[in-house]
Amino acid sequence: MTKETYLHEKHIQLGAKMVDFAGWHMPVQYTSIIEEHKTVRESVGLFDVSHMGEVFVSGKDALKFLNKIVPQDISKLNYEKAVYCQLPNNQGGLIDDLIIYKLGIQTYLVICNASRIDEDLNWMVRNKRGLDVKIDNQSHNYSLLAIQGPKAAGLMQKMGLNTQQSSFTIKAGEVCGIKVLASRTGYTGEDGFELLVENEFSEELWDKILEYGKEFGIKPIGLGARDTLRLEAALHLYGNDLDENTTPVEAGLSWSIPKDKKDEYNGKNVIMKQLQDGVEKKLVGLKMLDKSIARHEYEVFYNGEKIGQVTSGGVSPILGANIALAYVKNIKEICTGTVVQVMIREKLHDAEIVKRPFVQKRNKITI
Amino acid sequence: MSITEKILCSKSHEYILDNENGTYTVGLTEYAIEQLGDIVFLELPENGIEFKKGEVFATIESVKAASEIYLPVSGKIVDVNEQLADAPELLNEDVYEKGWLVKIEPTGSAAEFNDLMEYEDYKEELQ
Repeated sequence: MTKETYLHEKHIQLGAKMVDFAGWHMPVQYTSIIEEHKTVRESVGLFDVSHMGEVFVSGKDALKFLNKIVPQDISKLNYEKAVYCQLPNNQGGLIDDLIIYKLGIQTYLVICNASRIDEDLNWMVRNKRGLDVKIDNQSHNYSLLAIQGPKAAGLMQKMGLNTQQSSFTIKAGEVCGIKVLASRTGYTGEDGFELLVENEFSEELWDKILEYGKEFGIKPIGLGARDTLRLEAALHLYGNDLDENTTPVEAGLSWSIPKDKKDEYNGKNVIMKQLQDGVEKKLVGLKMLDKSIARHEYEVFYNGEKIGQVTSGGVSPILGANIALAYVKNIKEICTGTVVQVMIREKLHDAEIVKRPFVQKRNKITI
Repeated sequence: MSITEKILCSKSHEYILDNENGTYTVGLTEYAIEQLGDIVFLELPENGIEFKKGEVFATIESVKAASEIYLPVSGKIVDVNEQLADAPELLNEDVYEKGWLVKIEPTGSAAEFNDLMEYEDYKEELQ
C-alpha cells in the first residue's frame, strides 16, 4: 500500500504530478522542475517532506546510545542544536544518514530518510541492549514542511516565528499561532526552515504559508526540484550516493567525523583506519563538457580504463550545465581539473572533475 | 482538418504524420511531453540512417530521466529538426510545428501502420 502524507489532497488540488517514492505517493512537480528550482534559489519554496522519519530517543542512556550508533560526538551537541550524522554498520558502511537534534537533557530527535526508517529502527533496537533508552518512532504523528530560499526567513518572521536562530538549531515556536518545532536546516543549500508539526495542523500550516508567502513569490516545490537543488549543493542522497557498502570517508564526509571521539561506535575501526590510511574510492563532482547528461550508474572512464561510476547526475538549472556525483578510484592523477569520460548510451562523453558544491551554498546563518 | 485528425499514434507515445509527399514526420505526443516535464536534451539520428519499426532512433532527456524514442514504422531519416539541439524546450511549447523530431521515408510494408492508433483512440487508451 502506498502511503499518503496529510497534505496529499493539497498536492492533488494544486495539480501536482504524483509519483511513488520510498513507498509514498508524493508530488514530483507542480508546474516545472526548472521553474520550481529557480524559485527556491531566487525567493522561497514550500516542500512537503512529511515522508521523512521522526524518531525520538530518550532516557538515562540516550546519549550513550546515540554515541554508540553514530561517528559524531553527541556529548558535544548542545541543547537546541543539530548535527549531521551517519548510521554506520559494523563495517563502516552506511545504513542511513541522519540529523540529530538535542531537545532536552535526555531527549533527542532523529530525522531519517523515508526509505530507511525500518532499517534504522531495526538497527537501533539491536543496539539498545542493556541500555536505558526509549526509541519512539513518531513518524506517523508528525508532518514536516520545509520552507527554503533566500526569502524563507522573511516569510517566517512575517508569520510570527521568532527567527533569531542560527543554522543547525531547533526551537519550539509558533507560526500563525500553530505550534511547531522550527529547525533552521534544509536540503537545498539555501537558508531555510523545516517545521515539524502535528498532523492535524499540517493542512492549516500549509495553506497559511502559501497565503502569506504570496508576496514573497512562494511556490510549492516537488521532489524533482528537491533532487536538482540538493545535487547542485552536492548533498548526498541515500540510495544513490550512500549505501551499506560505502563508508563516510569514501563519501567525502570525513569533515563530519571527529578524530578525537573517545566512545566506541559501530564501524569505528574501519572508519578510523580509513581516515588514517586513505580509501580506494572517493566521491567527486563532475561537470559534463557537452550537453549530455550523466545519470545514476553510468560508468566513468579515464585513459580508457573504467575508474568508477556515477551515483547522481542531472541538470544544474543555475549553472546551465549538466553535473554529477561519481565514485572514482582514489589516485593522484584523478583530481579537480582532470577530464574523465562518462559512458552514455555506448559513447564516451568528456566531463571535468570540479569542486563540490557545484553552486555556492548560502545556508550558514549565525545569530 | 486539425493536425490531430491526421496523425497516427503508437503505444509508446510517438506520432507519425503523412506529409503527402512520400515523407512522414515523427514526433512525440503532447501526453508524452507532459509526462516527461522539462525537456533538456535530445539525441537525434543523422540523415540517411535506416531504422526498423520499433527500433530506438533517438533519446530524449527531461530533468528527471532519459527516455528512448522508437520509430513507429521502418524508415530512412531524411530530415532532422536541428533547432532542437539548441532549444530542446521547444518540445514543451509545441510537439508539431516547432517540436517535431525527424522526417522519414518509410521502407517497410504498408501493414506496419496497422497497429498505430487514430489520435482519438490513442487518447481513449490513455484513460
